[in-house]
Amino acid sequence: MTRPLDVVDLGCRPYREVLELQRALRLGRLDGTVPNDLLLLVEHEPVFTLGRGTHQASLPMPAEQLRARGADVVEIERGGDVTWHGPGQLVGYPILHLSHLREDLHWYLRTLEQALIDGLAGLDIMAGRNAGKTGVWTNGRKVASIGVHVKQWVTLHGFALNVQPDLSWFDLIVPCGIHGVEMTSIRRELDSRETDAALWHRTLATVTEAFGRAFARQPRRLLAVAELPLYPSHHG
Amino acid sequence: MATKVVMEALSPTMEEGRLVEWKKNEGDAVAVGDVLAEVETDKAVMELVARAAGTLIKQSVAAGSTVPVAATVAWIGSAGEAVPGGGTAAGGPAAGVDAAAAQPAAPPAPAAATPPTPQQPAPAAVELPAVPPSAPAGRIKASPLARRIAAETGIDLGGVSGSGPEGRIIKRDLDQLATVGPGEPRPPERAPRQRAEGGAAYADVTLTPMRKTIAKRLVQSIGPIPTFYLTAEADMERASDAREALVARDESGKFSFNDFIILAAATALHQHPWVNAWWMEDKVRQWHEVHIGVAVAVDEGLITPVIRNADQKSLREIAAEVRELAGRARERKLKPEEYTGATFSISNLGMFGIDEFTAVINPPEAAILAIGRIEPKPVVVDGEVRVRRRMRITMSCDHRVVDGATGAAFLKTLVEMLEYPLALVW
Repeated sequence: MTRPLDVVDLGCRPYREVLELQRALRLGRLDGTVPNDLLLLVEHEPVFTLGRGTHQASLPMPAEQLRARGADVVEIERGGDVTWHGPGQLVGYPILHLSHLREDLHWYLRTLEQALIDGLAGLDIMAGRNAGKTGVWTNGRKVASIGVHVKQWVTLHGFALNVQPDLSWFDLIVPCGIHGVEMTSIRRELDSRETDAALWHRTLATVTEAFGRAFARQPRRLLAVAELPLYPSHHG
Repeated sequence: MATKVVMEALSPTMEEGRLVEWKKNEGDAVAVGDVLAEVETDKAVMELVARAAGTLIKQSVAAGSTVPVAATVAWIGSAGEAVPGGGTAAGGPAAGVDAAAAQPAAPPAPAAATPPTPQQPAPAAVELPAVPPSAPAGRIKASPLARRIAAETGIDLGGVSGSGPEGRIIKRDLDQLATVGPGEPRPPERAPRQRAEGGAAYADVTLTPMRKTIAKRLVQSIGPIPTFYLTAEADMERASDAREALVARDESGKFSFNDFIILAAATALHQHPWVNAWWMEDKVRQWHEVHIGVAVAVDEGLITPVIRNADQKSLREIAAEVRELAGRARERKLKPEEYTGATFSISNLGMFGIDEFTAVINPPEAAILAIGRIEPKPVVVDGEVRVRRRMRITMSCDHRVVDGATGAAFLKTLVEMLEYPLALVW
């Protein structure tokens, strides 16, 4: 029998709030109060996050100037360099106990990529990997970024898939520390006439399904975080 | 007696890790399970956890350094204790690996890839030579890595004595089984009798990502795809003459037979949309564009760079593009879009002296051509036996897309184009 995957669509929420939520859920996953693997799906308000591998040169603009443009700047524990999250980008935070899957970091990264590649194929976008550059690429452009943190084989952070964001945000930084990288979005690759809402929901459904398949989990939609067994009083 | 802390393999394919940040300073007390440092590999950060208790007496590498798997990064001992072999770890038993740690460009330790030779310390998680193995009572203690190796190789952990903390079975103990066998005492340090490859009965080679992809793709292919094969023989006399004449006339116009076959196939595919197609589970996509994947052998595998819109290109353009892409394929410098998206593929083993063979379909493509060598053969022409240069072509077809007659019709067109090269410009 396939184990369940609890999928929660958090809607649009600030980065720091969801970071706290992730950390709480990971503790619950570690001590068993959260019985199932989880996939949190969220759209953030604009934020630049600096991973453990952030190089000085990836941030040509001081943090204050980025904040002045209405984005938050947060330093976090995930791997990788600087990136941006914001409206139009589907961010996924899988909280998986890898001991029940495979205790193998590279396997986890590659399977995460596979889930996104399969999800994009479901949207008729042919995407692939770029050896040595974690993430998902299509026609030489980067459509999804990945950065994770693993503690006692429970995962935190995850992926950011550009559905239809304002890509000019990425011009303010050197995304992932890769010079000359061109970011793209599903909207740009598809050139479709769908409404924003239609494309968003189609992407969310396809990615969720592909994610379940890649990790051999049966996705179950939960209506809200409140449905999670552990979650105490939600912050704010 | 101090204990080494080594860069652990957080994945079998991990060769090195970057020590991002120390969480314990020299002189700090350390308990088993404490987080010593954070390690980054690829885009993942994970914690390096203490496997022994005591005091962190030495950090052998600075935060920010990239260190090969199994290299010593720190020592745990009792407060005030010196690192074995002198004040710094560099002079101690770990000198070899520490030197490697100082040079990230040095070839990384082949974790889990080869059985250890006596001169080379096994890439064990933690080495605790001074701790006597305590007998496991009932439950077998083993590291996750050792459990996985045991499960994969069928070793019964019950018969293995562990040399890790508290008699825990670690990878090194299993590595030794490969040469020693269960139950036997460990041999003293002496040079083994010389045999090829250091005396091991076999060598386990870690799968490269490319090897895994090939396996996955080919299993996908030969398993669920109902494949059938069609073979035809083409007379290559005219093509050979034409090629010789072109090359004799202009050295820069050099092209291979394979370039010519790509052009002929691309032109023929244009007339046979059922063969220039993808099987997409719920539909068949007939391509109007013709993108030909050309199998190129590279070290440890193969890759199929794609000649896009091959039906729109001249022989000269195809020849130049194939040469350029194949060169970069061998250097592993192709971008994903340069080896994905083919609508049809061609594999040619003629240069290896193969008469004929069958190729495995690259899903979702519906067919692939396997080209044998061009060989002078006696054939009957106009009632007389003549020697002609002939070439055998075998097409593998996905029967869900291509039927026998459809495939045969395409092959007929292709053979005509090969036999009458002028048809290509007609």
